[in-house]
Amino acid sequence: MDTTPTTSRTRVRAAWAVPAVAAVAVGVAFAAPPLLASADSAGLAPVQPDELVARVLEAEPQALSGTVVHTARLGLPDLSLAQVGGADPLNLLGGSTTLRVWTDGEARSRVSLLGTASEYSVVADGTQAWTYSSSDDEVVHYALSAADAARAQRLHDAAPTPPADLPTPAELGRQALEQAQQDATVSVDAATKVAGRDAYQVVVKPTSTTTLVGRIVVAVDAQTWTPLRVQVWSSDDARTPALELGFTDVTFAAPADSVLTFTKPPGAAVREVTVPLPDDATLAAHAEQSSALPEDPADAALPDGVTVTGTGWDTVVEVKDVDVAALLAGDPSAVATLPDVEKSFGGGEGANELFDQFVGGGDGPAVDLDTSALYDQLTTPVEGGRALQSSLLSVLVLDDGRVLAGAVPVDALRAVAGA
Amino acid sequence: MSPADTTTSVAAPVSASRAVEPPARHRGALARLVRAELALVLGRRRNLVLLVGLALVPLLLGVVLYLAQDTALAGQGPPFVSRVTGNGLFLVVASLFLCTPFLLPLTIGIASGDAIAGEASAGTLRYLLVVPVGRGRLLAVKALGALVFAAAAVLAIAVVGLVVGAALFGVGDLTLLSGSTVPLGDGVLRVAGVVAYVGLSMTGLVAVGLFFSTLTEVPVGAMAATVVVAVVSSVLDQLPQLAAIHPALLTHHWFDFAEMLRVVPSADVLAQGLAVQAGWVVVFGALAWARFTTADVTS
Repeated sequence: MDTTPTTSRTRVRAAWAVPAVAAVAVGVAFAAPPLLASADSAGLAPVQPDELVARVLEAEPQALSGTVVHTARLGLPDLSLAQVGGADPLNLLGGSTTLRVWTDGEARSRVSLLGTASEYSVVADGTQAWTYSSSDDEVVHYALSAADAARAQRLHDAAPTPPADLPTPAELGRQALEQAQQDATVSVDAATKVAGRDAYQVVVKPTSTTTLVGRIVVAVDAQTWTPLRVQVWSSDDARTPALELGFTDVTFAAPADSVLTFTKPPGAAVREVTVPLPDDATLAAHAEQSSALPEDPADAALPDGVTVTGTGWDTVVEVKDVDVAALLAGDPSAVATLPDVEKSFGGGEGANELFDQFVGGGDGPAVDLDTSALYDQLTTPVEGGRALQSSLLSVLVLDDGRVLAGAVPVDALRAVAGA
Repeated sequence: MSPADTTTSVAAPVSASRAVEPPARHRGALARLVRAELALVLGRRRNLVLLVGLALVPLLLGVVLYLAQDTALAGQGPPFVSRVTGNGLFLVVASLFLCTPFLLPLTIGIASGDAIAGEASAGTLRYLLVVPVGRGRLLAVKALGALVFAAAAVLAIAVVGLVVGAALFGVGDLTLLSGSTVPLGDGVLRVAGVVAYVGLSMTGLVAVGLFFSTLTEVPVGAMAATVVVAVVSSVLDQLPQLAAIHPALLTHHWFDFAEMLRVVPSADVLAQGLAVQAGWVVVFGALAWARFTTADVTS
């Protein structure tokens, strides 16, 4: 070796070049596909905002399967829920959650919330739905009573109801676009790519300057006009969206039958929940309301004890006589005394199911999370009560039993409360 | 002339001449080396004790769950553990779930960290280099030995888990995480998929261990460093501030074996996990090769 020092040194250098090249090659292999996927999509024909919104509203619901990533940066205290329990809808409050979505575009769908070694599934089939949590091996079956089911079938035949389930990008996007036509400017941003598909971007910017919502960006698939991604930006943070729900991969094809059907796993505990259907008169009134765009929320028939102040994005909802302490203790009677509006959420059936589950339905096992500790952690004391401040929504709970909520800062809520 | 001097003067010309022109290799030398290596890895008493230790995990878990199944503690515990009493197949998955974070990396770190450094510290590496097989091939044989041990470790858990689970709880249709139930044959295939995925997930760690093993003559150092890499990787995986690098971490995809137990296993997720392992194997395999083929072996 002494006779050929140069050869030896060259050989050593050449040998060490191999891992360096390997490292670079591996780095490129992992970095390149996402970069290519997010490349500009210049080939899209320009489209006007009104045309785009109309196309989305007209579009048929598509049969699809895909992966959805939900990211919430609401500025809530870190609850580290994902590490305490398994997959649970509470995970959606903060951090990043992966969901798998399958739907046949009609009545049947499955949404799975994925945990590390757990899964929370919601399977909807027409008027009934099941949730299954792998962590506690429990099935909850939501169904109408027999009489209500027959009535629902008649109503369904008369007027097809829109599919409702956990908020998919499709659902959220439609809501945002419908609301956009009031109180906001709607524009079309540069085309983008979502889940590898060309997409138009609609930007909805509230005209109000007091609201916490900075803007809402909806990416719409250029071929099927299905919303693929919804981003809600807070006016506080211009760098990252406060709420993001978007497909990371999507296939427009009817999913397998085995995915959309649910059979109770042997040995699992089953909890039956009968969902009451409002009587015909209420339904008719509701259908009338929803068919026309609500010009002024104050005009809508509100339950007792609920008042609405402000319009558009500055709307503040005020509920009187809420016994927060009893609610936190999981006392079902406290829920029963709540005005009806509290129990129906805009998110449709899925949100109601979730609410039912948290409230505990009366006969089921109590929610094993210490709700009052959670409440203390989430809220901060303010003069005359407690307040929850997130980057998109504020809630003010006053000691006199009033609860105010709105997409405005806490100070605005206090101004409303004081008036 | 001391023995050490003899080694240097003998080994150095061997490696130098090989670099210039490969010498005529004896037929069958490589096959003999592979056989000897496998016999060494699988016959060594320490390795056997490690395998027995791993095999005890499903045995103990199964017995404990069997004894506790009619008490108030039944149906509690980490994911999969609560399902074992209903279906013995889950004992395989539950045992792998419990061993994956620490016990399995520890065992594999010991075997792969020892591969080269163990020979060096015992003074047998120089004899291996006299075998008419190139250093690159010698390294490949050592890697094969470490991989076979890793496979044996995962299989020890799986086979004992399957036998104990079937004996104590019986096997039947498999309830997936999604709530769907698949027939026994499909269930066995899915559990086999879990075992295969866990086994392949350990290949990156084997490559890391092999590289550390070429760096030192102190086997304990290489073993510890390998285990530390696995532990540090899982700690970094917990920090949300490092979310950007999480997908590239050695341990990040280890628990994606649960994908096999969802209603539609996502090929993308599984492929991503295996691709990351392949990346670690390529980089650390190349590092180990560069180090081992250029190092002066003196012991």
